[in-house]
Amino acid sequence: MKRALVLIAVLVIVALTAYFVLRPHNPIPDTISVYYTKAADGTSEVSWPVSMRPMQSGESVAEHTHNAALYAAVQAIAGPPADVQAVRFPPGTRVVSVALDGTTAIVNLSGDVKNQGGGTFGENGEFKALVFTLTAIPGIDAVAVLVDGQRLDSLPGGHLELDQPLHRADF
Amino acid sequence: MSWINRFTARTFSLAFAALLVLASIGGARADSKPAFVFEGKALAVAHVATVGGKLAISVRDPGLQRLLHAIGASLTWNPGERYVLFTTAEPSIISFAVGDARYDVGPRSAEAPFAPYESGGTVYVPFDELMSALYLAPKRDGDAIVIQPQLATFDVRGGASGSTIVARAGIPLRARVVSESATQLVYAFEGVGTTLDRSRAIRAAGIRAITFVQSGTTRAPVTTVTIALAPGTSHGTLQTDDRNGFALAIGGGLPSPETVADETPAPAESPSAEPAAQTTPAPTGATAVTGIDAHAGPNGYSGDIAVAGDATYDWHRLRDPDNRFWIDIHGASLAPGIADIDGTDPVTSVRVRQTDATTVRVALSLAGQKRVDVQPSSDGVKISVYADDAGDDLARSGTGTLGNAAGVAVAVAPSPGGSDAWKFAPRSGYVATNPRLIAIDPGHGGSDPGAVRGDQREANLTLDMARRLRDILTSRGWQVVMTRTTDVDVYKPNDSAHEELQARDDIANNGGARLLISIHVNSFVNAGPRGTTTYYSKPGDVPLAQAVQASAAARLGTRDDGIVKSKLYVTLHANMPAVLVETAFLSNPDDLAKLTSPEWRQKLALSVADGIASYAGAPPAAGSAANQ
Repeated sequence: MKRALVLIAVLVIVALTAYFVLRPHNPIPDTISVYYTKAADGTSEVSWPVSMRPMQSGESVAEHTHNAALYAAVQAIAGPPADVQAVRFPPGTRVVSVALDGTTAIVNLSGDVKNQGGGTFGENGEFKALVFTLTAIPGIDAVAVLVDGQRLDSLPGGHLELDQPLHRADF
Repeated sequence: MSWINRFTARTFSLAFAALLVLASIGGARADSKPAFVFEGKALAVAHVATVGGKLAISVRDPGLQRLLHAIGASLTWNPGERYVLFTTAEPSIISFAVGDARYDVGPRSAEAPFAPYESGGTVYVPFDELMSALYLAPKRDGDAIVIQPQLATFDVRGGASGSTIVARAGIPLRARVVSESATQLVYAFEGVGTTLDRSRAIRAAGIRAITFVQSGTTRAPVTTVTIALAPGTSHGTLQTDDRNGFALAIGGGLPSPETVADETPAPAESPSAEPAAQTTPAPTGATAVTGIDAHAGPNGYSGDIAVAGDATYDWHRLRDPDNRFWIDIHGASLAPGIADIDGTDPVTSVRVRQTDATTVRVALSLAGQKRVDVQPSSDGVKISVYADDAGDDLARSGTGTLGNAAGVAVAVAPSPGGSDAWKFAPRSGYVATNPRLIAIDPGHGGSDPGAVRGDQREANLTLDMARRLRDILTSRGWQVVMTRTTDVDVYKPNDSAHEELQARDDIANNGGARLLISIHVNSFVNAGPRGTTTYYSKPGDVPLAQAVQASAAARLGTRDDGIVKSKLYVTLHANMPAVLVETAFLSNPDDLAKLTSPEWRQKLALSVADGIASYAGAPPAAGSAANQ
């Protein structure tokens, strides 16, 4: 009897330990930081917090991280409220999809992003904001950009090298 | 027979009631396709369903896609994905998720009567909630559902020089001026209904009341907005924008959408939204703000913030006419008994708050755009405010440390060198086979004009400045290779950016040049940004960038926008130290006037040449080997 009780106690401890060790840990914070760059200088980055939807039942950690990246990318492309003087992506630019490959977020943008105003100022400010936003998410340290599903080495008439993933350190 | 009729009637009514109960409890989904009307035309909505009596719409419905396009909104959703995200023209993000009735509209969260669900390879979302978030109101009109755009938000924002009204609707607005008198403004918006209160009193300078009246029909509504003004109040012109809204200035000048304030309001959720500091209890920390003292200084006003212990600080200021200045002292608590103090001209007030557990904020209101100096002192921070008005090129923020606080690291790169050749190592492993050679790259050209404003093309301006730079450098004894000398593509017409930029790098790399200067003209979608920036990509580019920027900033009369790191192809793939000089903004009138002046372009060329001289010294004698 005593032995059985000890065995049960050990089993309970093992089960509890296994539960706490093995349960999926949600690495995504309740709020994520979305960045824009100021139109005043094109380089200073400013972030604002956006509430992240809690992890739903049936949602894996990988899926939740993907959803956070998707949500963050859509927020960054839309930019801050209209009265904030931010460097903004060309009108109509839309996030088509986001995929995660290891620690790289692959962001597929609509072709509208090609309609750049012509200066390094805008291009640099736009992609800096996108890269800072996505790399603020735990587990993401680089952003690869696709346009209409295609890899581009640069935007037409553009300046930034886009055929390799962008990192924070690039800005 | 009557009992049979009664029985039948009862049975049917019971069955009907049971169906209703089932529909509301079980969320029975039934296909139904009412006719939809938007802006007077039929909208081909095919994929709708009802859930508990509420309408659901497929995100892949072609009618919905057309509707989104018409109102400047977009959708991000892919098969199999849980998140359904709409971006409105405002912009604001509407976020739905499969299996979760909670949805977000910008920073606001709400609960829909049912959760979005997957069916037939698509996702159905709550129709009424989506429409409302898009500022659209579905209204029954006979058998049809009329999707009526709404004038949905109407904000009156008070500013130093007056108020600005900013309104948003479900569609791009067309405003009709009904009447404008000294005491009343009346505007009509065709095709728009409104959900706003019929009338509201406004506590804003110059405005007494605002009334909204909806008239017309469900399909062709008209919303009339009447703004009652206090006598003698001026007003601007109502300006509609491409974000389904309009702005109207009351009692002051409306900032033109073409101008950019250096300091802008932070987004609504931002915690650092300027000095509206909330008072929070002081923490128990080692470092404390122990006093604030203010007195007239030699040139205006002098304030001393006494800080005991180590801390870091950062300061910010807003742009004229909102002349507020504040300094946040981090890692510090506010000692008991430290209160706001009166200002002395040109400072109108001094406020001090513990804004969060470890930050003390001291905010100053300035009487005009005054120059402010912030310096660490022996016992804290000294703030000097000068009485005379400064230009608008003032720094807007800065940082510093007190005591031995770490943090606020400032990257210090080696300063530009003197006359010693090769004082700075280029990219490791790179040996300039021709150390007398400088590569100059006039940006764009041929099939790529670069930025264009009116008859001014970036490609022509960069070529002109590059030629001037070439002439100065050759007169100083350098050899120069240009990536182009006429208005052509360097690789081939209509090539890819990669081919084109690599061809330019190839010229510099193959020539074994000592350094590469790429000349560009900047541009933006509005006239606000201006100034000269030198971009670089590699660590080895920094000293050259600093030297060129310092020389340009000192001479050109443009705003000094500093050096900026970016992953630019042309500088990244040049083996040698390389910089891209964005000389000035084609999109800014002041900068444009400079760019179109041959004298200024000569000055630009001269300042870049002098920057090169300060970096690389004089050209080595002919035949000398690369000095590593």
